[in-house]
Amino acid sequence: MSSSSSTSANHKFRSPRSGLVGAAIAAGSMLILSSCAVANSEPSTGTTSADLVRIVLPQEPPTLEPCEANLTSTGVVVRSNITEPLVERNPTTGDLDPLLATEWEATGDTEWTFTLRDDVTFSDGTPFNAEAAAFAIDRAVNSDLGCNVEGYVFGDNDLVVTAVDETTLTVSTVTPDPILPLRLSFVEIVPPSTDTAAKVREPVGTGPYKVKQWDAGTKLTLERNDDYWGDAPAYAEAEYQWRAEGTVRAAMITSGEADLAMGLGADDGAGDLGLDYPNNETVALRLTAEIAPLNDIRVRQAINYAIDKQGITDSLYQGAHIPAAQLVPEGIVGHNPDLKPWEFDVAKASALVAEAKADGVPVDEKITIVARNAQFPKVSEMSQILQEQLTQAGLNVELKMVDTSAHLQYQLRPFVTNEGPIALLIQHGNQAGDAAFSVEQYMTTTGAQSVYGTPEFDTRLTDASVLTGDDRESAYQDIFEYQNEEIVQFAFIAHQTGVIGKAAAVDYTPNSSSGDELRLAEITPVS
Amino acid sequence: MWTFLRRRIISSAIPLIVVIVGVFALARLTGNPASLYLPLNATEQMREDFTARNGFDDPLLVQMANYFGGVLRLDFGVSLRTGEPAGEMVLRAFPATLQLAGVTMLLAVVLAVIVGSWAALKPNGIVDRISSFASMAAASIPDFWLAIMGIWVFAITLGWVPTSGVSSPTSWLLPIAVLLMRPFGVLVQIVRGAMVTSLSEPYIKLARSKGASEVRVVSRHALRNAAAPALTVAGDLAVGLINGAVVVESIFGWPGIGKLMIDSILQRDFAVLQAAVLLTAISIFALNILIDLGYAMLDARVRPTTRARKRRVTPAAAQERKLNVQPTR
Repeated sequence: MSSSSSTSANHKFRSPRSGLVGAAIAAGSMLILSSCAVANSEPSTGTTSADLVRIVLPQEPPTLEPCEANLTSTGVVVRSNITEPLVERNPTTGDLDPLLATEWEATGDTEWTFTLRDDVTFSDGTPFNAEAAAFAIDRAVNSDLGCNVEGYVFGDNDLVVTAVDETTLTVSTVTPDPILPLRLSFVEIVPPSTDTAAKVREPVGTGPYKVKQWDAGTKLTLERNDDYWGDAPAYAEAEYQWRAEGTVRAAMITSGEADLAMGLGADDGAGDLGLDYPNNETVALRLTAEIAPLNDIRVRQAINYAIDKQGITDSLYQGAHIPAAQLVPEGIVGHNPDLKPWEFDVAKASALVAEAKADGVPVDEKITIVARNAQFPKVSEMSQILQEQLTQAGLNVELKMVDTSAHLQYQLRPFVTNEGPIALLIQHGNQAGDAAFSVEQYMTTTGAQSVYGTPEFDTRLTDASVLTGDDRESAYQDIFEYQNEEIVQFAFIAHQTGVIGKAAAVDYTPNSSSGDELRLAEITPVS
Repeated sequence: MWTFLRRRIISSAIPLIVVIVGVFALARLTGNPASLYLPLNATEQMREDFTARNGFDDPLLVQMANYFGGVLRLDFGVSLRTGEPAGEMVLRAFPATLQLAGVTMLLAVVLAVIVGSWAALKPNGIVDRISSFASMAAASIPDFWLAIMGIWVFAITLGWVPTSGVSSPTSWLLPIAVLLMRPFGVLVQIVRGAMVTSLSEPYIKLARSKGASEVRVVSRHALRNAAAPALTVAGDLAVGLINGAVVVESIFGWPGIGKLMIDSILQRDFAVLQAAVLLTAISIFALNILIDLGYAMLDARVRPTTRARKRRVTPAAAQERKLNVQPTR
């Protein structure tokens, strides 16, 4: 009767039971054996030694190509660790400090001259000189590689770079550029042996560390560059790992598996081991001021009054963020210290909306808040609060959460145009230290990320961009005030505060650029 | 058997091609990835350069022809994100997932068979009630929550295992424990149900009356017949694990294919996405063939002999077979 016993007439199969058991054992032992392939990379848990600093990042660097180092995920490892620029911006003072160049000056309307160090070699032994610097700038800015830094700081403008002698370099621009040295602080210097036809994944540089081993997907180890021209860093090796979840990164600090955890949120659980630092990021709603009802300035003002900035900061970020009145935080050239955030006043907001309605403005028109999933901690909670608060003011508001790629279609020209009025939740980080990098993008009528402007405002912006010193500072301060009074393209919410998890065994003081450029040489063991 | 294999491979190729074409076309419908890879202030010229450099300006059919030409030469294209060959990235990530999924499934099956059989021996007994509650819970708890709680309890509070990573053998424990829950919970219920049915069949009574030991009755007679439905469900669950232990891989920093796939989707890294889908699709087809073979070993009626396939089954014959054979599900 039983048709499935091992005495089945079908000889093409072995005895099913022994076959299955055999297969299971074979599969099991194979899996356990092969599992060793992943498992037996050397254990990195345990106590911290003074020889190794362990850092956990939110994501694996996609590449270590220096000409992409303005991207956070790449730059945080590469910049000032593996490669160095000619000059670097001091994140605390905002001044430019000498690095591979000792001096620089404008030697004409459109020409800058840099004097370079003569005691530097790359980690592969090649000497650093003006020719190498010219090569690296050419490669990043003038080549067909499509380097991210090229678009980020120079746009379509090519530079003419000339090595005058071993230690003298001139850089010329088409139009006068008072902040050329600042722009060049984004260009990392690589030796002339670097590939010019393709991007490299593991670069050679002049920095205090060099790449030792990159187990893609698992970890990246840097080792001290013994020929470094400057002071030797404290740790012989640095090991990077990456975990997507903030809570896990924080847990690695608590459990002693890592020494520094980057990009934490206020409640990821780092507790006393979390260090707050201003990360130069500002969050705001950008309003499509040419589409009704947002084309009425009273509606845009109402949105500003309707948002409880302090309440959002207190309830979502444990009070660590600072309610914002402008696009750039303190410490950036052009920040206006006298501007106060719009007061939170629902009655005033409702009154403005009612007034606009009485004048025939279609305030019942649906306004969509568009926000990006996982852009920063608590972004969806913040978006829901914004939706609720704008509704309180009498507006008809819908919320749409999208992924990065979709968000960019709202953020960048050509904008999405068929979805009516949009309040886009933006997070803007000015890592360059000068308001020009923000306003060119976000405030000029034709700016890549600007949806509104006026000819008069454009003139002010253009005039400010060529000024220097105190004139520049005050021109940009006026610009931020003018935006709040006459333009109101934005409803500013907060200047953000980042959190870095730090184990008790290491000493490190984060600064505003720590998230983009984590200098290993500034990390020391607690003695 | 070889005929069976050949036929299965040929019939698997068609859905495989459909999957690849579908992913290729759908991915491109989500738009040009230029804005993701260029700086926010990129000019129109830079966008055009990027599009041309990566061949996104060709008509879709041309892009697809180029891609398939490459695949035939085992060239899967280059990752936009990392600049590495997509094939290499995928092959590097796949073993990590396979190991995790394999160990998890092996444990889930063994544990589920033990617990499920034990529960089935005395339906509604204490073991049955506990296992039924536990398996229900295991199958329903979200893995995200479980993973975070696991880290909190076992890595931080107790300090028994590392929070995450693949740095030591103990790092396997948490991800496996979290991944194990759902397949274990589901399988316990399947095994228990099938065993309850099996154990009430006449051939069990016959075996017992012949004086077979209880262990032999359960393992040799009942379990053999209860194994087929469990195998089918286990196959489905294994496919789920291979296809995307995404959450678990992301949380524990496990360098597997699920994490790679989700990253390539978010970053519109088409070449890597396609290579990953292709590889998982192939392995799922392979797995399905293995399941069919296993099923055939357990149940002679589905055994693909040439004779059986050629013979047209008349309704009468089918009726006769139904009456004739022992019940399975």
